[in-house]
Amino acid sequence: MTGIPLRLNPYRDLFLIFIWREFSIRYRQSIIGVLWAILQPLSMMLLFTFIFTYIMPMHITDYPYVLFFYAGLLPWSFFSSSLNYAIPSLTNHYNLITKIYFPREILPLSGVAVAFIDFGFASIVYVLLLILFKAKISWNIFWFVPLFILLLVFTASVALVLSALNVYYRDVKLASGFLIQLWFFASPVFYSIDRLSLKLKLILFLNPLTFIIENMRRCVIEGRGVVWWQFLFMTVFVSLLFSLSYKFFMVTERKFADVI
Amino acid sequence: MIVLKDVWKRYYRYHIFHRSLREDIISLFKRKQRQGLEKNEFWALKGVSFEVKKGECVGLYGPNGAGKSTILKLIAKVTYPTRGTISVDGRVAPLIEIGAGFHLDLTGRENIHINGAILGMRINEIKRKIPAIVDFSELNEFIDMPVKKYSSGMYLRLAFSIAIHSDADIFLIDEILAVGDEAFQEKCLDKIQNLKKQGKTMIIVTHNRKLMEEVADEIIFIEKGEVIDISGLATLYSKPKHTK
Repeated sequence: MTGIPLRLNPYRDLFLIFIWREFSIRYRQSIIGVLWAILQPLSMMLLFTFIFTYIMPMHITDYPYVLFFYAGLLPWSFFSSSLNYAIPSLTNHYNLITKIYFPREILPLSGVAVAFIDFGFASIVYVLLLILFKAKISWNIFWFVPLFILLLVFTASVALVLSALNVYYRDVKLASGFLIQLWFFASPVFYSIDRLSLKLKLILFLNPLTFIIENMRRCVIEGRGVVWWQFLFMTVFVSLLFSLSYKFFMVTERKFADVI
Repeated sequence: MIVLKDVWKRYYRYHIFHRSLREDIISLFKRKQRQGLEKNEFWALKGVSFEVKKGECVGLYGPNGAGKSTILKLIAKVTYPTRGTISVDGRVAPLIEIGAGFHLDLTGRENIHINGAILGMRINEIKRKIPAIVDFSELNEFIDMPVKKYSSGMYLRLAFSIAIHSDADIFLIDEILAVGDEAFQEKCLDKIQNLKKQGKTMIIVTHNRKLMEEVADEIIFIEKGEVIDISGLATLYSKPKHTK
């Protein structure tokens, strides 16, 4: 993994330019522009609050539903929009890949970076909601940062693998919409795994997002900390996954121009 | 300096990627690569060898499908040889197909940034060169307009201007000399002669024989993936097959 900064460093300006390009294309000729980044988690949160308050009144949590759903939707939106940007990123730049060399991972990773900018804007709303609902903030809120780094690395791994596979099989793009939807229900965005049995918890923990999203919510709105050994275990797991994914990307990259 | 030694390149005739991905995954674990030809595969290059010295300008000439663009791709490190070795010394700037990498919704100026970065320029370098690029393209009044509103001639001129202002050591010029009107073509040729004087290495692909003879120091004739003749003083590592 130490080779990555070495490999990308000469291309950091290109990386920045790609991020800027993706970002400015996205909101060009749009009236509300960057508000779109906020609209998605916000409208989903409102919908869930409406459903679970009026249509299917259900006790999900003791905390305000608005906060609870938004806290889960924020990391989830980052993950899903990263994948949506990243998966077609290589095939969309067909004409560059067959003509000119640069480290190809710049394309999917700049997709993740653009999702990160969106995440930044959506976080502003999060802060406003926390103030509005007078959430009791404790020092444990600082867990948010290492947990987000875990989420970032995990997302980057998935983005690298799926975007590379999409060069070979367009099925990935076709399946991604539906897979992301399945993944959504498998992640504790609108439910909490708190009261589940240990057996169910273990099954749900097979999904790394379960750990990340659940804890990102706990540390902010519930003021709870993260179990150290669980965090260490996840860190090792995610790092391993990332180095494997990167290796996979590097191997397949050599043939992108031939098979794309 | 560019050296190609007995370079072979295998391609698939149809879209059968499944095996190729499987191969990639298997090759993760073993080093040895398959050398032969299977069904539906063909050699795009069959043992091509030549070298281009620093500051030389070489033309690749041959019918469609002879393998000229494959050679450029290999030199640009976009794809890799099945067999043989390629060594390239210095930064390569492929003058990619006109406007590859242009985004239609962005303005000319914004596209200069993107294309410049793709060609390996630093952001500062691009900022410094923008006046020269805009001047050369003669698009001063239109540079802040989205390129989707450009005429095709304007589009080509902008792309060519960016590419030609790169600081690279090696320029790969693939069929893009037929740019704009006659006056602009004249200007491009001047610029290419200029780059030659600065000691840049150049590889040119064009079907325009007259133009090629004008700028190239030597011409490499390619047919069906083989070098059949080299005019000039190039070093040959292996004799072409059919002369044996």
